[in-house]
Amino acid sequence: MSGVLVVIEQRAGKIARINWEALAAAQRLGAPATVTAVVLGAQTEGPANEIAAKASGKVLRVEHPLLAQYTADGFCLALQQLIQNESPTHVVFPHTYQVRDYAPALAARFGQVLIGDVVAITDGPVFTRQLMQGRLNGTYRHSGSGPCFVSVQAGVFLADTSAAGTATIATFTPTIEPAQIRTKPGEPFRAAAQAVDLGSAQLIVSVGRGIKAQENIPLVQELATALGAELAASRPICDAGWLPMERQVGSSGQTVAPKLYLAAGISGAIQHLVGMKGSQCIVAINKDPDAPIFEIADYGIVGDLMEVVPALTEAVKEAKQ
Amino acid sequence: MLLSLPTLAEPQHFSLAEKLLFAGLALGSAYAFWRRFGVVVGKILKSKKDASFHLFPIGKRVRDFVWEVVFQAKVIRERPAAGLAHAFVFWAFCAFALVTLNHCADALGIAFLDPAGRIGRFYFWFAAVFALACAAGILGLFVRRFFIRPKWLGEKLSWESGFIALLIFALMATYLASFFVADAEPSIKILWWLHTLALLTFLPIIPHTKHLHLLLSPITVFLSRGSFSQIPPLSGDEDFGLVAGTDLTQLVSLQAYSCVECGRCTEHCPAANTGKLLNPKEIVLGLRAYLNDLGPASDQPLLGKYNSQEAAFQCTTCGACEFQCPVGIEHVPILIGLRRGAVNTGEWEDDHGSKLFLALERGSNALGLNPAERDKFIERQKLPLFDGTQEYCLWLGCMGGYDPKGREIVADFARIMNFLGTSYGVLRKEKCTGDPVRRLGNDLLFQQLAEANLEALAQNKVKKIVTICPHCVRTIQEDWKEYGTPPEVEHHSEFLARHLAQLPPASFSPTDPRKKDGVPKVPLLGPGKEKIVFHDPCYLGRYRNVYDEPRTIAALSGELVEAPRNHNRSFCCGAGGGLSFLGEETGERVSHVRAAELVATGATTVGTACPFCNTMFRDALATTGDSAPQLLDIAQLAARRLPERDAS
Amino acid sequence: MKIIVAIKQVPDRDAQVRIDPAGKWIEESDLQYAMNEPDAYALEEALQLKEKHGGEVIVLSAGPECVGTTIREALAKGADRAIHILCDDLGARDALGVARLLAAAVKPENPDLILTGLQSEDLGLGQTGVIVAELLGLPHATLILHVEKTETGLEVKRELEEGWFQTIQLPTPAVLTMQSGGNKLRYATLMGIKRAKTKEMQQLAAANLGASVAPVVVLEQIALPKKQKSTQMLAGTAKEAAAALIEKLKFEVRVL
Repeated sequence: MSGVLVVIEQRAGKIARINWEALAAAQRLGAPATVTAVVLGAQTEGPANEIAAKASGKVLRVEHPLLAQYTADGFCLALQQLIQNESPTHVVFPHTYQVRDYAPALAARFGQVLIGDVVAITDGPVFTRQLMQGRLNGTYRHSGSGPCFVSVQAGVFLADTSAAGTATIATFTPTIEPAQIRTKPGEPFRAAAQAVDLGSAQLIVSVGRGIKAQENIPLVQELATALGAELAASRPICDAGWLPMERQVGSSGQTVAPKLYLAAGISGAIQHLVGMKGSQCIVAINKDPDAPIFEIADYGIVGDLMEVVPALTEAVKEAKQ
Repeated sequence: MLLSLPTLAEPQHFSLAEKLLFAGLALGSAYAFWRRFGVVVGKILKSKKDASFHLFPIGKRVRDFVWEVVFQAKVIRERPAAGLAHAFVFWAFCAFALVTLNHCADALGIAFLDPAGRIGRFYFWFAAVFALACAAGILGLFVRRFFIRPKWLGEKLSWESGFIALLIFALMATYLASFFVADAEPSIKILWWLHTLALLTFLPIIPHTKHLHLLLSPITVFLSRGSFSQIPPLSGDEDFGLVAGTDLTQLVSLQAYSCVECGRCTEHCPAANTGKLLNPKEIVLGLRAYLNDLGPASDQPLLGKYNSQEAAFQCTTCGACEFQCPVGIEHVPILIGLRRGAVNTGEWEDDHGSKLFLALERGSNALGLNPAERDKFIERQKLPLFDGTQEYCLWLGCMGGYDPKGREIVADFARIMNFLGTSYGVLRKEKCTGDPVRRLGNDLLFQQLAEANLEALAQNKVKKIVTICPHCVRTIQEDWKEYGTPPEVEHHSEFLARHLAQLPPASFSPTDPRKKDGVPKVPLLGPGKEKIVFHDPCYLGRYRNVYDEPRTIAALSGELVEAPRNHNRSFCCGAGGGLSFLGEETGERVSHVRAAELVATGATTVGTACPFCNTMFRDALATTGDSAPQLLDIAQLAARRLPERDAS
Repeated sequence: MKIIVAIKQVPDRDAQVRIDPAGKWIEESDLQYAMNEPDAYALEEALQLKEKHGGEVIVLSAGPECVGTTIREALAKGADRAIHILCDDLGARDALGVARLLAAAVKPENPDLILTGLQSEDLGLGQTGVIVAELLGLPHATLILHVEKTETGLEVKRELEEGWFQTIQLPTPAVLTMQSGGNKLRYATLMGIKRAKTKEMQQLAAANLGASVAPVVVLEQIALPKKQKSTQMLAGTAKEAAAALIEKLKFEVRVL
């Protein structure tokens, strides 16, 4: 048993940032030269070249027509054969939805358990992952014999993209029979766009009484457009008819849980807080430094929204260019 | 003096034919009466027994009966003119019991009151005074119903009411006329027969119409559950509240048949007044219609054809209906009973309601917030933790622990207790008292919350609780009793009123309205400039009978003015009964109607004593424009008298 | 359809997290427990499938005696019967060990469908369902929001990243792990709790479900995270604050 495998996830030939982070984590578990990056698919030349330009060990193209589309059965079979072949000490994955779908089963085939969603790797190696919804950290150790399966959380291992790649590329062809693939996946689709769907919005810009007048609404609308966010409001704004009722967030409106909730001119009445408390990141802009919204915000800006919001819109536009 | 007055004339002789005719008519009338009345009594008696009903203590029942029935005090107090007119009719009916008996006995030749004798003469004149008052009263009521037509009597004119008024008037008129005909035949005979016919027509009409209340409401008042808005415990494994006819108890059925359709409940109902489906009178009449059509043995659902589920869940449980009802109907337990039936069986499906229930099944507070937020507040505000040695446990409640406005109230109340040197502490962990789920009819969840809280309080050896929330007070003191012995509990207005003398006099120096050192400061407008209107929270006023304490506190800050509806007639803010968690209301918002009323008093400050009222008015007052009065809890008003906190 | 729903009892969301003296796990003495939320969604989906197509819903849970309260809650919400794997050392087993217990209990029942939550709220491993499928040799799909019965098996809606979804067809029997939010959960009712008392609850001893295997992954230590969530105030002029926020959105929140 030697070497570290890292499974790189390519989607339509594209490799997301989290994969480079997984590579960085793999390089922490074994010398960079002993790391083998694995990429699966029916056509993997492009991604393999991209990886080779950034890695120093080996790149393995696991190719098979039945791997054209992801299935847990296909990926498990292919990787099972590969791991048996390579017998690495560690197999590292990015902690993506796809990995969560098959890696536990793959590990089980080797009598192993995936150490998933790892946020730190220290000497030992000791793996840290979050417990109790992030309220605790737990440290795990692999105690059995056989390969250790690990998946890493997005954004914790800084990908070193500066190193020039020297990796060699090889191909591995697994044996897969069509009958072994039991599930039939369909093409990805987006949910049919409803008129206003705050509930499933990823980004929300929400406006409150601090906006003062209906004429100022476009100011916030522009920020929402620049961010690609949905526009929402607190109850007084909808009561006044400045925005339609279906954009109301709060106990009498909608409950939302976006990745980003940007509250502009919202003081944070309880009726509003209960509707947006589940947001992953809350940004508050308010001119009252004592506004309750700052208590639950991750980032706060004390200032007049008439000034801050346009500045932010500009900055977002710049950043997106 | 008495001797100079005319004497009541009575026919002296009845032929056998007349006697037989009278007997026949009387029997017919009695039969027609019983045919209906017997059915009603049967339906009531066949209803389920009230398992938790106790006749004792009987003293209060007798007092209430004398006050409400004999003196008609409630009827007169709430609607003086119509009430007095009604009281005259009622008292005349009482006085007439003996007269009528003698009248009938006369036909059979066994009259026992001699109009010429001392007793008879006195009694007939005594009754005549009432007859006169009754005739005037019924005339007044007739004019009111058919010409003034108050809207809560319903849009449709009730012809039966007119006919009844005519009969009563005829009864009185024929009686009074009998004083002026001497013993001259045939006029006295004609009057006697007219009186008799009116009487025998009236009798069978009683059980067929809302005039059934004549017979039932005295019993209903006497057999009330004992206290305001008392929710009876469920009994046995198959009791889930009011699901079907088989769940209607004798008290509920008696109340359903007692309704006189006066519309007082509707007149005062916040839902009915803001364009919602709920009309408490119709709820009671719906139950009556159910009993009439299907009876108490039916397993057809109560909600559906006869009453609407939507309406049942529009009740804020403010209790104005029950408080006003002159015939002893207990609307709140009925409405909550219907909700229990719908929730305990899972029939009620409501996104907001489910969310509230799930939040409390899985967490500690009705708002579904992380309790770490409460911990942070306790830490920041430096509130001491309760360790068993302090006098009071300061119960934060969901609003006090999580709502930014509620927290300001708690902070100011804590400052006052610190100033007074009162020892207190807050519990490290607190669960919702269960008020919203209790009122929404979720008995399973309420039991879990009550038991968990009772256990935590016992473990912490809490003896006395003080809290800023009247809903918590009510639930702890009354509703928890079903599952244990709660500690003593009082509302902060009661505590503050008791300690007011120990606070320094108000200083009217202009202060910075902004917050300083985390303590919210509220501008004082100066002596004579601040007009304060106090809004009575339902759960403090009608539920707890506390009206003066918060006013005493408010009065020290400025001039007290009253909204048109105040004290026990106070109009709800719209939050009670779990409704603040149920999303947008249909029709007008209750809070807006009340806020407009408060603003119209010209007050510069709206004083509240309930964090739910506070949060409702916060939004509602904002819509009244820039000149909106400031909104303060009485704890915040009282805290303005404390010395400024040092900047250090 | 015969459906088995595997549920887990977890500390309730508002539980105060205190670490036990050994630093191995949290103090359990003052904890209150609830049904793992994604499992509650799995149960809801199962109940809705049963309401639509008929059949039987069996809840399955492993853990000590106190797990009974959560099982009864599931019965109260409408499950027909329950299997309780009595096991006092659940924490000492890794995901594979727990999945072995569950698979051994499922096997004799021969269900058409096995549902469970995507992950637990306490350990958050998100693996148990997938491993059960592997051990039973059944096809599986994860992050499922909705299940539709078809003539040949199942059609399920799977959540992908960034607002994308996918439909997957798979034969039965199969294992699905359910994502939260696909349905509206029903609340527990008094009637349900009373009716649940008469439902069958079968208890199986863990020891009878195969020999215990030493865990391959061990939780050694737990600790409170160093940084508690606090508000970062971004100072400066409007422009400076905006620029600072963009940095955060780019590199910490990663939404730009």
